[in-house]
Amino acid sequence: MTQRRAIALTVNGQRYSGETDVRQSLVDFLRETCNLTGTHVGCEHGVCGACTVLVDGEGVRSCLMLAVQADGAEVLTVEGLARDGELHPLQEAFWEHHGLQCGYCTPGMLMSALELLREEPAPSEAAIREAISSNLCICTGYVNIVRAVQAAAAALQRKERT
Amino acid sequence: MTATTDWHEVEARWTGTALKRKEDPRLLTGRGRYLDDVKLAGMLHAAFVRSPHAHARILGVDTSAAAALPGVYGVLTGAEARERSGSLRPLIPVPSEPPNYCLASDKVRYVGEPLAMIAAVDRATAEDAAALVAVEYEELPVVVDAERAAEPGAPLVYEEAGSNVVWHEVFEYGDVDAAFAAADEVVAERFTIHRYASTPLECFGVIADWDAGQEVLTIYTNDQRPGLTIGVIAEALRLSETQIHLITPDIGGGFGNKRRPAYIVATALLAMTTGRPVKYFEDRRENLTALMQACDGVMYLEAAVTRDGTVLALRVRDYADEGTNLISPCQHSLLKLGNMVNTYRIPAVRFEPYSVLTNKCPSGANRGIGKPFMCFALERLMDRIAERLTLDPADLRFRNLIQADQFPYETPTGALYDSGDFPATLRKALDLLGYDALREEQRQARAAGRYLGIGISTAVEPASSNLAAYVLVTGKKTSTGVGESAMVRVEPDGKARVTFGDVCSGQGYETAAAQVVADELGLHPNDVHVQPWFDSFTTPWMYSSGNYANKFATTDVGAIVGAARKIRDKIIVIAAHLLEAAPDDLELREGRVQVRGAPSQSKTVREVAQVAYRNLLALPSGLEPGLEATYFYSNPLAELPDEADRVRGQLIFTNAAHIALVEVDVETAQVQVLRYGVVHDCGKEINPLLVEGQVHGATVHGIGAALLEEFVYDDNGQILTTTFMDYLKPTATDVPTIETDRLETPSPYTPLGTKGVGEGGAIPAPACIANAVEDALRPLGVRINGLPISPNRLWPLIQEGLARQNGAASAGK
Repeated sequence: MTQRRAIALTVNGQRYSGETDVRQSLVDFLRETCNLTGTHVGCEHGVCGACTVLVDGEGVRSCLMLAVQADGAEVLTVEGLARDGELHPLQEAFWEHHGLQCGYCTPGMLMSALELLREEPAPSEAAIREAISSNLCICTGYVNIVRAVQAAAAALQRKERT
Repeated sequence: MTATTDWHEVEARWTGTALKRKEDPRLLTGRGRYLDDVKLAGMLHAAFVRSPHAHARILGVDTSAAAALPGVYGVLTGAEARERSGSLRPLIPVPSEPPNYCLASDKVRYVGEPLAMIAAVDRATAEDAAALVAVEYEELPVVVDAERAAEPGAPLVYEEAGSNVVWHEVFEYGDVDAAFAAADEVVAERFTIHRYASTPLECFGVIADWDAGQEVLTIYTNDQRPGLTIGVIAEALRLSETQIHLITPDIGGGFGNKRRPAYIVATALLAMTTGRPVKYFEDRRENLTALMQACDGVMYLEAAVTRDGTVLALRVRDYADEGTNLISPCQHSLLKLGNMVNTYRIPAVRFEPYSVLTNKCPSGANRGIGKPFMCFALERLMDRIAERLTLDPADLRFRNLIQADQFPYETPTGALYDSGDFPATLRKALDLLGYDALREEQRQARAAGRYLGIGISTAVEPASSNLAAYVLVTGKKTSTGVGESAMVRVEPDGKARVTFGDVCSGQGYETAAAQVVADELGLHPNDVHVQPWFDSFTTPWMYSSGNYANKFATTDVGAIVGAARKIRDKIIVIAAHLLEAAPDDLELREGRVQVRGAPSQSKTVREVAQVAYRNLLALPSGLEPGLEATYFYSNPLAELPDEADRVRGQLIFTNAAHIALVEVDVETAQVQVLRYGVVHDCGKEINPLLVEGQVHGATVHGIGAALLEEFVYDDNGQILTTTFMDYLKPTATDVPTIETDRLETPSPYTPLGTKGVGEGGAIPAPACIANAVEDALRPLGVRINGLPISPNRLWPLIQEGLARQNGAASAGK
């Protein structure tokens, strides 16, 4: 009933190759084959955004993308954000501003926010809300997530200047 | 030599501070370990076969093709489950008590009800196999409306119960008829509430692992009430509770929704037959279709009012649509007793609840349980009273609010409001958004043809439920009161470890509990490790253990403080012995015990711990070694109902006032929330950062319920909203920044003066939004008596209003 195919991709700078069912989603490949369980599955129909990762720099719902479609791609997941044990400014800001409660949406939320700040380093509140409206958070009411993204934007800009 | 610490003696050094959360670094880096991240060797994956019909007799189940599919290891049908396991013991046994097995075998009673389960090498194969199960059904008449289901002759969800009404009662508190006879006005309305749920982003799941050698069943689950669940599954599987090892990993949100012992039992049965660990993890469609939803309902509410706006009495007739809930029916009605008169001095109440079964998904706990509807109906009625008497809705509320000097205040239904200053809360909320300025803005907008509205609602937020309230339903006094249990252990290195029977689902207990214990033991919160996982073999627990009813800051803290104080006292006793000082002369702070006024004479907590565990001959003679204590706390406010059926169903009361500014686009019937303000008073705050997060989140829950979220059923009982594309959750663009302010009136009845805070926002927000929308559309005479206020519901009301207006205009010409 299922076909298998060999694929190779880079995740957080590390090369993964292996066989996958052609019907396997990218998120299942990341979680099961790469053992990167930081990316969560919230709805499996592309609405909640919990599974958001960056594929070649662009945010995608990894529950709607098949693993075979990511063959040859560069994928960034939440596990790739902190470097050398140091949190990414977005992670720092989410911590500082209480931008997470249960933490289930957080990895996807961070990736969507990262994509926004790469495109728009000083976004307005409306732009932040628009960008993260792709991701559902059930716990926070978004208030502190917006504050955290604003703070991260400011921190990244300070970093840029120095 | 003894040392005992009084409740209020300990210096609050860490409680009250907005400490960043201890759990965040792991959650922010993808290192949380949720249920779906737990992998056991040889683990199989399970899928359910679920009913496509709302009500049908099962004539036959053929699993042969499924069993023959390569990769399938086990098949469990309802008939087999019925043989191998017992009926699931309910939390609230209704008098008729029909049997309730983990899988359906004779009938299916709602769309999505599981009737068979498959275990296979992976989830996809399990789903392939589930699709191969052939079920023959005979469809039966369906009932999906509670009032209709309560009528004689309605199709019966459980024939053996003889009726769909599982609970009907009339409670009379005070002289209601006299109040209505004396009233200048009677204001009466019929209000409805719809089905919605918090839908935590992580679905519900279970991994069952049967160790046939030790005969121990290990269960990993994100179940919110392990204390209740362990007994239920042990009994159903005919095991001892000593054989159930239940572990909860990190939990991705709960809000009451995460519980389904039936799924655990079915998964465990398959683990036992296959000899391999079996995992079942809901997908979102299953979650929205079949896990649980808050009751929808109908309420007939009448108020007896004097001309000056004083409310003298209420009559409340309440229909709660329980769906097929046999585990905790009656909860939605019963818990309304906790906020029936809300923040007001209403001396008399008649309450007539009907809990009714229908062919819908089982109802269950959802942030506030019943209280959002009670608040919605009463706060809507207050606006109607104000309108009838041409009073400002804020003035009407001030006229009726319980005053600050009336605490403790006992409501007619027996709720004991512990503390607060309700008028101050409301005043602060009006000031927060500038009520008079908003009214001016509204006047200008109306003149410009825009529809702006201002909504106000007030609320009490009850915390900690008293199981004795269920005596009113069952007449049985077998489960009563509420408690929690905690263990605190100072390790030989002087650092503390804490575990307690609640299970955190995102509220930040690792941080809050560490703050509390840090104060008790004179340690830094970084030196207090709070176990994030509940483990029934190492965590002390009791029947009421779990994450529900806003109980952390009220009941859990009692257990944590209780255990920590035992250790605190013991540390002081040992140090006193070592320092040859009297315990009363010692103080414990910053990691050491020192003689008051002579800090050079001291022992560190680590030094004391070293003695306690290894230098046993240096201990005071007769003292038990070690620094480990368990404390089982019973909330002292819980009592049985009295002869007049008055009951403290919930025990501690936070209060809040909400205020909203909305604009309605009459062309599209779209409601936009322009501003939203909340003033809350949850007593002493352990961590203001966490408190504010709870307020934001709960408020947005309430706004979502008011404007967006609805489980829609058609007349055949088919659920039409099974994805997040149809069941709409609020996104960041649907809600404004929630503006907050606070009061801090400590509770005299909790060890640290704390109160609950998790549910508050969700209780008054639906009322506040509805009040604002009706206020916006007052020129059109639009009435909001039900929720959600979605464009498809609001559009016809606006059209009727415009037609009335045009009719009036042309009649006037």
